[in-house]
Amino acid sequence: MVLTTSAQLDEILNTFERNVPHVQATAVVSTDGLVIASRLPKDVEEDRIGAMGAAILSISSRSGDELDRGEMIRVLIEGTNGYILIRSIGEFAILVALVEKEVRLGMLFYECKNCIEKLSEIL
Amino acid sequence: MADMKQVVLDRDLNPYHSFFASFFAGLGELGMLNQGSINIVAKRAADYLYAYLDAKEILPDLNSVPGESAAEVIKNLILYINKILSMVGEYDLQESGEDQVVLLIAGQTCRICPKGVGGAAVKGTLCPIPSLLEALINKIAQKDMLELITTGIEKEGSTCKAYFKVLN
Repeated sequence: MVLTTSAQLDEILNTFERNVPHVQATAVVSTDGLVIASRLPKDVEEDRIGAMGAAILSISSRSGDELDRGEMIRVLIEGTNGYILIRSIGEFAILVALVEKEVRLGMLFYECKNCIEKLSEIL
Repeated sequence: MADMKQVVLDRDLNPYHSFFASFFAGLGELGMLNQGSINIVAKRAADYLYAYLDAKEILPDLNSVPGESAAEVIKNLILYINKILSMVGEYDLQESGEDQVVLLIAGQTCRICPKGVGGAAVKGTLCPIPSLLEALINKIAQKDMLELITTGIEKEGSTCKAYFKVLN
């Protein structure tokens, strides 16, 4: 059976969440800030995650350029209750993940890279 | 910037058009604004516009808005909103399939485009019109009449298109 693009994206996000304990939510967003696929709790507003994720990545990337920090690899925001991880997926999309504080960051970054590679094949 | 003088004349801009289009353009160029965030803030602005129209007692009575179908009523509401805000010069609302309408805007007549008027050098769209219309029409109608179709904003040649689902 051939899966739709949407189902394939959902499957990849689901695998990422299964492989990394403490990943609470994920979304694939266009660089325009519009949500392409997501696995978010009901209390999280999808539109806001999309818009803010894309804006944060865009500002971070621009800051990296302006301040000569080279090509941006990832954005990691640390809060008292956990992390927000944002990475580019090629030129037109980004991955946003909401993660609990207890996560092993090494595992998170490793699996995130694998997830991005799989998403890149579809998008 | 030299072309901007011509844009002001060609599109018959007022100072607010110039200010807001270039203001949004600047935020877009800094990476702070994208189509997703424009959609959110345009809906917020619709609440304030509605309050303004209410305070000035110029809100239309939905029962007196002409139109035999929901699409025709929406068309007349857009006419009313555009008359007040003077957002675009030439546009058309066409039915495109069942329960779907498309707003076609002649890009070179748009007065609030952050790219065409504000000069934003960014990829993709930065259009506040579809979300603003959606939210304002739904507020005036006091029910959900219109829903912007996700990723339903695109530019084709010199025409900007926004796709909506008609809900009632």
